[in-house]
Amino acid sequence: MKIMNKIVIGVILVTTIGATVVSCSSTKKGYSDIPDSETVVAEEGFKLEKSGAQLWGETCNRCHIAPSPADYNDTDWETISLHMRIRANLTEHESKKIEEFLKSAN
Amino acid sequence: MKKLLVVLTAVVFGGQMYGQTYNTFEPSKTQFMLRGYGHTGFEYMDSGDETESTFLGSAFAPIFLYKHSDRLMFEAELEFVLESDELETGLEYADVMYVLNKNMTVRAGKFLLPFGTFMERLHPAWINRLPNAPLGYGHDGIAPSSGIGVELRGAFDLGGPKLNYSVYSTNGPRIKDGSEEPEEAGILEFENYEDTNLAKAYGGRLGLLPFPDSSTEIGFSAYSTSGTGEEDSEYEDIGAFLFALDFSFVKQISAIGGIVDVKSQFNNSNVDTATFIETHEDGDEEEYSFDNQSNSFYGQLSYRPTMSGNKFIKNLEFVARYSDFKAPEGAEWEEKSTQYAFGLNYWLSWRSVVKLSYQTTETEGGHDGDGLTNTDGLFVHWAIGF
Repeated sequence: MKIMNKIVIGVILVTTIGATVVSCSSTKKGYSDIPDSETVVAEEGFKLEKSGAQLWGETCNRCHIAPSPADYNDTDWETISLHMRIRANLTEHESKKIEEFLKSAN
Repeated sequence: MKKLLVVLTAVVFGGQMYGQTYNTFEPSKTQFMLRGYGHTGFEYMDSGDETESTFLGSAFAPIFLYKHSDRLMFEAELEFVLESDELETGLEYADVMYVLNKNMTVRAGKFLLPFGTFMERLHPAWINRLPNAPLGYGHDGIAPSSGIGVELRGAFDLGGPKLNYSVYSTNGPRIKDGSEEPEEAGILEFENYEDTNLAKAYGGRLGLLPFPDSSTEIGFSAYSTSGTGEEDSEYEDIGAFLFALDFSFVKQISAIGGIVDVKSQFNNSNVDTATFIETHEDGDEEEYSFDNQSNSFYGQLSYRPTMSGNKFIKNLEFVARYSDFKAPEGAEWEEKSTQYAFGLNYWLSWRSVVKLSYQTTETEGGHDGDGLTNTDGLFVHWAIGF
């Protein structure tokens, strides 16, 4: 059991260090090309991003039935979103988009 | 006198006008919320020799949320349950959380352990699709539910798939040496408010959502400690290693007109072999030991016909669950149990459900005896989240 304990501690350290390095590293390039306006428009046109409503349906239903936006006001949804982000281990992007949807639809 | 009246009028009404002018009713930056859940119901149990039926006193679990800022939050849950003519109270969790960056959050205090997903995410009565927990959880269970310590958790978006992680250190479990409850010698007790030795428990969970629609999640959890006994006792160096595998699949499937929800979790507990003392009726003492390995499993399938045109049918849910539990051979609490549970739920709203359930459990051994027991149960529960 001592060996298993050391392995678990080792995995925890590697996970912690890895998560810290990845989350703290900048994703900005040192030098970036200046895109021409046509490229930017074309890229945005093909950008497929899920709406907050879609994420609300997919994410909340993983554990419980997705809540009705009308049941809480904007400030309540801010608190609930932060709580659920941590409790259900959601990404920042998911929780922000869902919060925006709930606040816009209540 | 007139001047005095004018001054008094100006003070009274002026103050009100000033107050009205500057009270903009903007939401405060900090916020306190009271949420939670409660449930009540009726149970009928038949174990052959014995039958019993009872209305259940309400269980009430208020959750306190205090949002100090966009990064800092406090959460706590109390639990009030009427059981065996007594009011049982408990502090399920109480912890402070701080968002370090978009991928990392630190928690400290008493928190629900991410050992699998059932205890952390699915056990509240308004979320659990059946009136009770599967075998292997709760008082005689092998899965840890909460711990006191510190945790780092977060999630990464991998451009479609998602990865979430959690690593933690807590006070860890205490092994029951049988001095107080001989029939429970060798069981790990996880609810320890003060550590009894220097060894801490270390653990974590990795969850992978391989598909962009987040319908599927596969998780692996581990929990380990090098010592579970009290300091300077013969059980001080008795270590333990537990692991869990969990699976979840939730998706609306048009072909069958509704949402399918599959959940399952396998728990395994392996504790170092120790020697315990059995006291016979004539006062003689005998040493014994056993291979302290336990495991439990549950698989649950539920279906909600959400695409039905009929409002009543749309709110129905059909549930089936299989669970089993194996406690070590040779232990006083040696047990092999199998349970089948079937349920029909009606959702009054997204957070209020009436559950009707039939369960049949076959138990061999256990605390109450060595023989084989078959217990049938009928449950009607009403749960609400708020």
